[in-house]
Amino acid sequence: MSTSTLTFPEATSQLDTSPARNSRLSFPRIVRSEWIKFRTLRSTIWTLAITLVLMVGIVAFFSAIGASQSNGPNGTDDGGGSIAVFSIAVSLAQLPVIVLGVLVITGEYSTGMIRSTLAAVPRRLPALWAKGVVLAVSIFVVSAGAVAISLAVMQMVLGGKGLAPDLGNSQTVRILVGTPLYLAAIALLSFAIGALLRHSAGALATVLGLLLVIENLFLIPWKPLQAISPFLPGTAGSRLLMPQEQIDLFSQGATNTVLGPWQGFAVLLVWVSVLLTAAAMLMRRRDA
Amino acid sequence: MIEAQGLTKRYGSKTAVDDVTFTVHPGRVTGFLGPNGAGKSTTMRMIAGLDHPSNGTVTVNGRRYAQHRAPLREVGALLDAQAVHTGRSAYNHLLAMGASHGIGKARVQEVIGMTGLEPVARKRVGGFSLGMGQRLGIASALLGDPNTLILDEPINGLDPEGVVWVRNLVRYLAGQGRTVFLSSHLMSEMALTADHIIVLGRGRILADAPVADIVGRAAGTTVRVCSPQATRLVELLCGPGITITSTTPQWLEVTGSTAQAIGEAAAAAQVVLHELTPATGSLEDAYMALTQDSVEYHSTAAGWDPDDPAAAGAPPQDLLGAGLPQSDPEGAIR
Repeated sequence: MSTSTLTFPEATSQLDTSPARNSRLSFPRIVRSEWIKFRTLRSTIWTLAITLVLMVGIVAFFSAIGASQSNGPNGTDDGGGSIAVFSIAVSLAQLPVIVLGVLVITGEYSTGMIRSTLAAVPRRLPALWAKGVVLAVSIFVVSAGAVAISLAVMQMVLGGKGLAPDLGNSQTVRILVGTPLYLAAIALLSFAIGALLRHSAGALATVLGLLLVIENLFLIPWKPLQAISPFLPGTAGSRLLMPQEQIDLFSQGATNTVLGPWQGFAVLLVWVSVLLTAAAMLMRRRDA
Repeated sequence: MIEAQGLTKRYGSKTAVDDVTFTVHPGRVTGFLGPNGAGKSTTMRMIAGLDHPSNGTVTVNGRRYAQHRAPLREVGALLDAQAVHTGRSAYNHLLAMGASHGIGKARVQEVIGMTGLEPVARKRVGGFSLGMGQRLGIASALLGDPNTLILDEPINGLDPEGVVWVRNLVRYLAGQGRTVFLSSHLMSEMALTADHIIVLGRGRILADAPVADIVGRAAGTTVRVCSPQATRLVELLCGPGITITSTTPQWLEVTGSTAQAIGEAAAAAQVVLHELTPATGSLEDAYMALTQDSVEYHSTAAGWDPDDPAAAGAPPQDLLGAGLPQSDPEGAIR
């Protein structure tokens, strides 16, 4: 064992140089602690990098296709169509976001780190909220950066053909702002489920199963399912990223509820709040 | 100071910790001894607020752990050496832990130095040996320079050098007036390290006494006597420094005297003896007897019952005994 090669310092006389005793727990400090934990794991860096690459890559790919198919400058598209590509990009880029959201909390349970965390923050909930803040802000910032880069790419590829998104258009702005908002909310949804289940594989399967499988099952044309479908978290939240024409298309002849973009996002936020509240209640009660 | 009052933890129908009351005083090393599964870790986790007691309370310096405004400064806990994210470096782990209390890089470097972690501090914890993990756990416990330390099996996985280091460290910390509570399932280690020992078996306290008492009882000063005139013999033997207990009729356990003295006293008074056996059990035997999972031992919570034929035939003092003088200074410390 390598320990035998180590020196054993005069352990103990150094204890007297103790740090100032005025420091105590505070929420900003807990956030700082969680931020250090967040940024010092490789999984964080990887998932964020993949999110960025997926977003920009997909936008660039579709922009290139769009550019090659358009018939030259001043084509028929006013840019309202090209913005729809964000919806596609997010549907893939949300996968690493889900992974990160789950791992931020389940990684602590699977490694035992949670016991260190809760020993430092024995009231527990401040640690949960701090993790949530760090996660949501980080995802928001990174995906906002991804949106900015994507826009620049679109400008480069499509600008000459007049197909680049029009930043003066309120719908375009809604989708551009909505992308980081939606991803941050999905991260928190995954985080809450991770905190509830405390198990990486279980939580990942649950979130992915819910968003990718169960929500699609609810599209089966059977009334009771279709009545619920618009209120499922992914379906509702992704309304925020949907061009208005598409929402209008849904509304035509629809028998069930059609949520507007912000209504849908609000429904997603309700899901997030309910799940986070449940996670918080359980976290207080359960043994670590 | 750690005070547990009627502390109980039940998991379903299983009672892991059963109505335990004890006090861990500052300025000395208190050993928490018991076989695996006795409830030591559960008790320690309840002290640090990780597990919720089913009943009873436990406080550190008069408050429940969670009520402290700077818990890491109040209590340093090594509850599980592996309570660290395997993907993070030791340095970053300590930095993150400290950040929650405004403890900075300087102190992190300091505890890394104190625990001999420098060569691996920037490596990911996942690749650590068990001993390195223990050192990191101890570093985390020391991070806030707390007045109370709770160390669950701190010497697990340490090499002999590391064991000595932990022993010196905890004795030094206690010498500074701190409260040190450390668990082990090794009686021999406790005899060398602790001043006071709380023995736990099946979730109940079997003994709570200075280490010298427990060692004394184990070091062969008890003599088992069987006599049909036991009552008469008790009268003969009674004197200062001599304790006589009787668990079954005709059987006596005499502490503070010798087989020779008892035999001569009996002969002089013409008392018939059927058996006269010095109980020369080792520390481990004493411990085994204490923690043996039988109901009768649970009922004699005050202490130690040497009425175990195996103990009489046990080998004489082993190296546990040889090391004992080292633990004597405990009297001076208190």
